[in-house]
Amino acid sequence: MSRLLGVLLTVSVLASPVQSQDSLIARLRRQADSLLSAWRDAQELAAVADSLEQVRATAGSDTIAVGGLRIIANPSPLPLREAAERAWPVIDSLYGSAAEDLPRYPYIFRAVDPDSSVRRTVLHVGVELPWDLDLRGTSTVLLTTVVAPHFDPVLADWLGTALRPTLRPQDERTAVFVQLVTAPSEAVRRCFLGDIVRCKVVLQVGDSTGLVTQWYVTPAEREALVTESFADYFARGATAPSLQRCRQHRDDACTALLQSLPPGSLPRPLGHAARLVLVREALRAGGRDAYRRLVASPNAAIEARLSSAAETDIDSLVARWRNSVLAARPRPLTLPWWAGFAAIGWTALFGFCALRSSRWRL
Amino acid sequence: MIAMFRAVLYSQWKWSRLIVVLGTVAAFAIPLLSLQGAARADRGAMQTPELLRAVQSWGTLYPLLATALGLLMAIAAWAPDHRGRHIHALTLPLERWRYVLLRFGAGFVLLAAPIAAVLIGSSLAVLTATLPPGLQAYPIALAMRFAFAVFVAYAVFFAVSAGTARTAGILLAVIAALILVQVVASMANLNLDLFGAAQTALLLGPGPLAVFAGRWMLVDV
Amino acid sequence: MNDAIHIERLHYRAGRNFAIKELDLHVPTGSIYGFLGPNGSGKTTTIRLILGLLRPLSGRITVLGLPMPEQHARVLGRVGYVPEQPHLDATLTVRELIDFQAAFYPRWDRTQADELIQRFELEGDHLFGRLSKGQKAKLMILLALSQCGDLLVLDEPTDGLDPVVRRDILSALIAYVSERGATIFISSHLVHELERVCDWIAVMDDGRLVTEAPMEKLKHGTKRLVVLGAPAEIVNPPFRVLTRESANGGGAGEHWVVGDWEPGMTSYFEGVGASVRDVIDLDLEDGFVELLRSFRKGGTRR
Repeated sequence: MSRLLGVLLTVSVLASPVQSQDSLIARLRRQADSLLSAWRDAQELAAVADSLEQVRATAGSDTIAVGGLRIIANPSPLPLREAAERAWPVIDSLYGSAAEDLPRYPYIFRAVDPDSSVRRTVLHVGVELPWDLDLRGTSTVLLTTVVAPHFDPVLADWLGTALRPTLRPQDERTAVFVQLVTAPSEAVRRCFLGDIVRCKVVLQVGDSTGLVTQWYVTPAEREALVTESFADYFARGATAPSLQRCRQHRDDACTALLQSLPPGSLPRPLGHAARLVLVREALRAGGRDAYRRLVASPNAAIEARLSSAAETDIDSLVARWRNSVLAARPRPLTLPWWAGFAAIGWTALFGFCALRSSRWRL
Repeated sequence: MIAMFRAVLYSQWKWSRLIVVLGTVAAFAIPLLSLQGAARADRGAMQTPELLRAVQSWGTLYPLLATALGLLMAIAAWAPDHRGRHIHALTLPLERWRYVLLRFGAGFVLLAAPIAAVLIGSSLAVLTATLPPGLQAYPIALAMRFAFAVFVAYAVFFAVSAGTARTAGILLAVIAALILVQVVASMANLNLDLFGAAQTALLLGPGPLAVFAGRWMLVDV
Repeated sequence: MNDAIHIERLHYRAGRNFAIKELDLHVPTGSIYGFLGPNGSGKTTTIRLILGLLRPLSGRITVLGLPMPEQHARVLGRVGYVPEQPHLDATLTVRELIDFQAAFYPRWDRTQADELIQRFELEGDHLFGRLSKGQKAKLMILLALSQCGDLLVLDEPTDGLDPVVRRDILSALIAYVSERGATIFISSHLVHELERVCDWIAVMDDGRLVTEAPMEKLKHGTKRLVVLGAPAEIVNPPFRVLTRESANGGGAGEHWVVGDWEPGMTSYFEGVGASVRDVIDLDLEDGFVELLRSFRKGGTRR
């Protein structure tokens, strides 16, 4: 009996915290449910506000349709149709068959007085454009604000920028060439010299483990990175001694410091333009459905998505990327053809002024 | 005419030889120094940005040297004549414009030395340095840019120096008027940027000083 | 035309206070022409006009038969010029200056230059800026003579020099004229110096010509007369009365300074009831002073 009593006592003692824990969880769950409900209500309200705002923004507006582009704008002298006719082929060539989905993402523009001191109603939907914007400027706005269809966050994270058409693809590739030559990274240099594996590393389309030592191969690079880019960050608290050691050329300290950086904080050796050019190459290689294939599997690895888009293996794609970048070497640093003539002309003119100086005139 | 030119050239050389010699030494040394020590093989990939930084820093000296040479050579070309109130020059048996042309030409001949020094110095620097892959050397382009800059600077200062005090006064008055108009416009909240316009006119496109505004890189991508 | 320099009705204005007015000059070819005048009278300005360094407002200048300043380049090739102030570059040596000058003058006489270097005892490697005043003047003369011009224009070339240097320079000039038959136009306010070498004299004052005459005529035609019993007004004298003033309070007659005097002219005084007690010769300097006094009183050219 006493044993039974003891067991009951023990069970009741043990059960009391479980019971109180259950009530805490239930309370927290109720709170969460309440918050979720409030968030849903707020979201519904926001959606209503947005749609009201959209209705207000688009009220009395015209809709211009050119290809897959839909532009909702108030009547104005803005050359929107002509600009759309210019922009559409460029957009279509980038997104291919996916560009057919663009009517789901219409542009909303409001032409406004170019004089910024004139008061106007504030709208939270759409883009304000001064009504005197010329055709070139308007076309650029269409190209730079187009919504990439089905663009997923993973792709956006890797790319580091939006995937939009460019009017100057050559300039973009030239910028990447400059990066390849000047980036303070041995990996980039080897990529420039033809090491495709290194290219994949610096483009982040391969193995993503141990990025510190893969991207910054030599101790000098790592030390420079710490001392030049993160000196302030590491100068306080527990990392200060390591920074000191790193400054004394202790590579282990430098590497450890870089490895301690929060995810995504390690500077990529190549800027986003390099990855952008890689995507463009993939899309170019893959034909009209390339973009659709690129965004078809958001959960797949980037290299797989690029391969799928380009319909080729990743090594070939990267090699193709490298070749296109190398072909875009900047023009040699020479004077423009007119500069020599201009300089000689000015020299002659000033010389003539000296000859005709009133000092020599009687 | 050749004998006259030789005589003018000799006199001008005597007046400006220190400037020419120092300018030539500087013009020879700057390209060598700009690559000296910057390209260190032990720095690996780090050497490229380091090298470009050094080349860019030293590059600022070329337009300064070109301006200084143009200014000093123009002053030297006229200083003795100014001291003698131009009596000697004006009593020489040749048209005045010919005499001015002789002085102008003699200056160009003397300025050929620093220009050649830039070309030789740049070529030597490039030949003796190991450039990181992807970088290119532009000794001829640099020397040409330097030559044009020196010629323009010399011509500008030569013309100013050949002018009378009245001409200098007019120039100063124009500059003062520009400043005054700009100040008044700023006070009146007028959207007027005369300095910006002047800068654009002088430095961009085919402006007289456009040759100074470019990139002075011995080595670049 | 037989004049090395011919100036007609020249008018030039320099600033507000000074002008050359209605100037006529005729410098005969082969003469040594003295150009006298006090400081600021316009001698240097006239020389600059002759050399084409200034452009006249009106009038005509002909030098060696060519109009100036239109033909200055051709004329200056035949004209040696020594300015009032040495204007050469101080950093060049004597030899360098000679070489420089030689390049510009097609008729440059290198032998003459070498001879004059020896004669003037100049050192070829001395800087012009380090030369004494006399050496600078000698070098300027050397440069002017060695270019073998037909005309030498000398603007106060011996001003401020010691007598030895002056003598050297003047003898070199006389030798040059006698050898080459060139014309020398020499400006100075040192009257005694011109008196010895010139055969023509012009006098300027305040931008105007006072007189222009052969040296002999000027020198021997200017006299001081001691006149007794002269009437207050005299009519149509055959000479020019430059000044007239009482001698020692009037009891001893009057002192007259006259120009264009000739020996037989004393009879004129007898015709007007007066007599000439004495005819005194004046040297050029006294004559120059009296001319200026007379000019400044009357303000007209004689």
